[in-house]
Amino acid sequence: MTSNALAQVTFETPLRVRRRELDRPQIAAVLGLVTFGALFVWSATHAGDAGSGLAWFEWRWVRQCVWYALGAAAAVAVCAVDYRTLARWSYVAYWLAMLLLGLVLVPGIGTSHGWGALRWIDLGPVQFQPSEFAKLAFILAAANYLSRPPEELRQARVFWTGIGLMVLPFGLILKEPDLGSALVLLPTGLAMMFVAGAPRKYLFRLVGGVGALAALLLVDVLFAPPGWRIKLEEYQRDRLLVYFGRDFTSLAPPNATAAELERLRERQRDRSYNVRQASIAVGSGGLTGKGLGRGTQKALGFLPPSVAHNDFIFSVLAEETGFVGSVSVLALYAVVLFTGLRTAGQARDRLGRLLAVGVVTLLFSQVFINIGMNIRLMPVTGVPLPLLSYGGSSVLGSLIAIGILQNVYLRRKG
Amino acid sequence: MLIFDQLKRNDPPLRWLAAVVLGGLGVLLAGLWWVQIVQGREHQTRVENQTFRTVRVPAVRGKILDRHGRVLAESRPAYNISLYLEDLSGAFKDAYRRLRPVVTVTNDGPFWKRWLGAGQTRVRPARLKRAEVQELEWRARYQVAGQIVTQLAAQLEMPELTFNPEEFRRHYVNRRALPWPLVRGATPQQVARFLEQNGGGPALDLEVLPLRVYPLGETAAHVLGHLTRDDRSAEGELADYFYRLPDYRGVLGVEGGFDAVLRGRAGAKAVVVNHLGYRQDEHVWQPAEPGRNVVLTLDARVQQAAERALRRRVGPEARGAVVVMHVQTGDVLALVSSPAFDPNRFIPQIGLEDYARLNDPVLRPQINRATQENYAPGSIFKTVVGLACLGAGLNPDEKIFNPGHIYIGRRYIHDTAPAGDYDFRRALLRSSNTYFITNGLRCGVTRILELGRRLHLGERFELPTRQETAGFFPTPRTVSRGWFDGDTANLCIGQGRIAVTPLQMAVMTAAFANGGTVLWPRLVARIEPQDPLSEEPALEFPARRVRDHLGVPERHLTILREAMLADTEDPEGTAWAAFRDYYRQPGALRVCGKTGTAQVTDPHNRVIGRNLWFIAFAPYESPRYAVVVLVEGNGSGGTTCAPVARDIFEALQKIETAPPPGATLTSIP
Repeated sequence: MTSNALAQVTFETPLRVRRRELDRPQIAAVLGLVTFGALFVWSATHAGDAGSGLAWFEWRWVRQCVWYALGAAAAVAVCAVDYRTLARWSYVAYWLAMLLLGLVLVPGIGTSHGWGALRWIDLGPVQFQPSEFAKLAFILAAANYLSRPPEELRQARVFWTGIGLMVLPFGLILKEPDLGSALVLLPTGLAMMFVAGAPRKYLFRLVGGVGALAALLLVDVLFAPPGWRIKLEEYQRDRLLVYFGRDFTSLAPPNATAAELERLRERQRDRSYNVRQASIAVGSGGLTGKGLGRGTQKALGFLPPSVAHNDFIFSVLAEETGFVGSVSVLALYAVVLFTGLRTAGQARDRLGRLLAVGVVTLLFSQVFINIGMNIRLMPVTGVPLPLLSYGGSSVLGSLIAIGILQNVYLRRKG
Repeated sequence: MLIFDQLKRNDPPLRWLAAVVLGGLGVLLAGLWWVQIVQGREHQTRVENQTFRTVRVPAVRGKILDRHGRVLAESRPAYNISLYLEDLSGAFKDAYRRLRPVVTVTNDGPFWKRWLGAGQTRVRPARLKRAEVQELEWRARYQVAGQIVTQLAAQLEMPELTFNPEEFRRHYVNRRALPWPLVRGATPQQVARFLEQNGGGPALDLEVLPLRVYPLGETAAHVLGHLTRDDRSAEGELADYFYRLPDYRGVLGVEGGFDAVLRGRAGAKAVVVNHLGYRQDEHVWQPAEPGRNVVLTLDARVQQAAERALRRRVGPEARGAVVVMHVQTGDVLALVSSPAFDPNRFIPQIGLEDYARLNDPVLRPQINRATQENYAPGSIFKTVVGLACLGAGLNPDEKIFNPGHIYIGRRYIHDTAPAGDYDFRRALLRSSNTYFITNGLRCGVTRILELGRRLHLGERFELPTRQETAGFFPTPRTVSRGWFDGDTANLCIGQGRIAVTPLQMAVMTAAFANGGTVLWPRLVARIEPQDPLSEEPALEFPARRVRDHLGVPERHLTILREAMLADTEDPEGTAWAAFRDYYRQPGALRVCGKTGTAQVTDPHNRVIGRNLWFIAFAPYESPRYAVVVLVEGNGSGGTTCAPVARDIFEALQKIETAPPPGATLTSIP
């Protein structure tokens, strides 16, 4: 019997159609990140939540875990349907997202959570951030649109339509205003066009042009006299000034009084407070950190409780786990990103390849901007750290993005 | 490997993308390495700087005890009822929320709620400018703190306790991490009432601080000295503290001289504060080392008896000094300077009235008259002159006729002793100027100088109280130029170019009594640890440290002692009247004494005052106590000072027979 069975196995295996399997290292890395996320949302919020007498199901780390579960379910659901089928609905999703982005700008529909920017739609118990879904919808639509043969992309009309696909959500999100979320669309879109084979010449000119514009803007913000300054939200200008280490008083009108100068200095202290405290938190973690739940920056309120669990979750993590922990997180992201790139390489068709590239670039941009902001490499923008930051829309969006990657991997070529 | 597979892939666009992603992650890695590893220390310091407030905690100051362990100065716990601001931060926030103006908004809910017809109007806090917010926050804090203070005042029935917004604001701004003392030095009744009513609120609590107390008030004030508020770091301590708890430094007397010993070593604690500056936690990282006790040779009973005697015989504002010394050991049993001050008044700070009295130009309570002032010895110096003459071969029985005055050259010197024949004994007990000037000139100034040198007149004792003057005594060098017989004559009656302190005279008197040994006076017996169970050994200062010898034969001293005894026992003696009724008491000590009345002249040679002296030792048979009394004022040594000494001897006699208090604890052999 044994020899017979062995023969069966040896003969059958090479003949069998390749098993459809998931990208296991990537799932493991995502699980690792989700664990970090749950732990540090807990660390950043449990003292405040338990102290304010909320019911246990209102605690933020519990909610975060619920969102992880919902996100996993959504990812499975996305996986279940062939991405080519999904792509057929991409324009519907895209325009729906654009509609929501438009709606969020209408006061009374969009809410600001008291932050002054209209980014959320209030759905009673939960708030929903359309920009998170707009990013995914954009990737889907752009991948669909750009998956046509590269030759067609040389036509100016097709090229510019591709650009337009990117500029529309960019503009709408910028209008909220949410500069960070808008900005991550640019590398995503450009990377997709680059991989799709859009003419390099055009792309370089475009990047060069945008870069020159951005440089002009920066010079204006940092050095222009009052009359020459273009209109920007005050906090955006301030963030740039803080990032480039400009003294606020240097921009004061020459006849400013001492009180005005003092006010400017105070504003500078206020504006740079979060970043300074974040980098102090990260730095004071040292090599091995202070231990889970032992971070003082959060516990003593130096890292404001309003941002510690979302945009600055990395500071909490880095303070409590040190260099070891933050590098572990970085390594987990590296696994996710490079398995994603592998998926892109192995994709069955151009659509799958572009989808994977879009998701990888999107995740990478967010990781880079967020962690960079925590260590003062990047200016402060409200970009969440994918899979770690607290927030339903962000968690859901990131997990669906992972689902898309798995979807493409599942249906890769032979 | 996963990463390099992507980089080697034969797919240029993806290879580019992989390179960019890898580069980006590399930048983040480098950034993290820089921030967390390279600058890690720096950031940790920043965390400490913004979260730690170091507090200097003064050590418990050592006690000052008398020779029998009676407390002359000690640190007792004092209770402050204090407000802990960190417990109020929630209340501040609530009060702020109540005070904040609101605006009513209509149609502000999300659209679907409006469609459901709910939430049409709601109330929202108004937007305020930064300055307005700050103003409102202060109002909220005043409200909360004010309420607590009012409540506390009602509880303790202290109507004088009112809320002072200015003080509160100052404390809040400068010392937020420390409790705010509302009632300083609460009385036991207040403490009891406070505890009974459960503290009135969670933010209030008792705070225990050491308070320096001098239980005997003005007793030995000059020896003890006083403290002054000084929170600065002593040598060898951490220099920069964020906060300092009140501390004191000794400025005078033993408190000043032994300050380093008494003070101990201040400790340090660190208060962890949150981002609002409220206290979150605290830990002691260097406990304070308590100071050590200083045990004096003073006997509080003798000291008080001497003070009482001076007060009773001369008056409450007597300007004078008393020294009681053990003639065999040199132990100072009492060192009185009057008028004195109450060292308790210097804590926490001296008042204006006390300050004015302290600087009174006539009373001068600040100076220690027993050691710090120059006085002409007057006739008490005739004892030294007498010894010098005996040493030069004077026959004590040889009689000299005193016409009631003497001429030195053309200068007339009056003699208070009546005209007649005088031998050594009679001359001393009547204090005849003629006799001592005549014999002094005969024996020559050199011998007198030699005795003065052996008595170390004109030299300091280097007392730990730091309140000391050397006095003045001529040296052979002084005498070698511009010295005339007139000067010698002046010296013979203790006037002119000589100045002494009562303590120097006590050492001199002790030397006559003990057979010619010049001792170092001992004021501090030992320094011992505050904790009686401590292993640390006590530092002993030996008794009977010999400084010099008079070099006078015993029989000369006997002649002197007999003459001094006659001063109190012979009806002709200048101190006889003072001791007459004393000697009628059973067991009275036989006292050898010598009176003195020196005239104090201004630069124009006009008499502006008198120094009245009485030096004595007793008992005659086996001398134990030397007593020196000095009074500035009118009268004479015999009528003013001798009665003071008489009272002191009477007290000494009683104290000798009574058992010393707490002798079992700290007795000095």
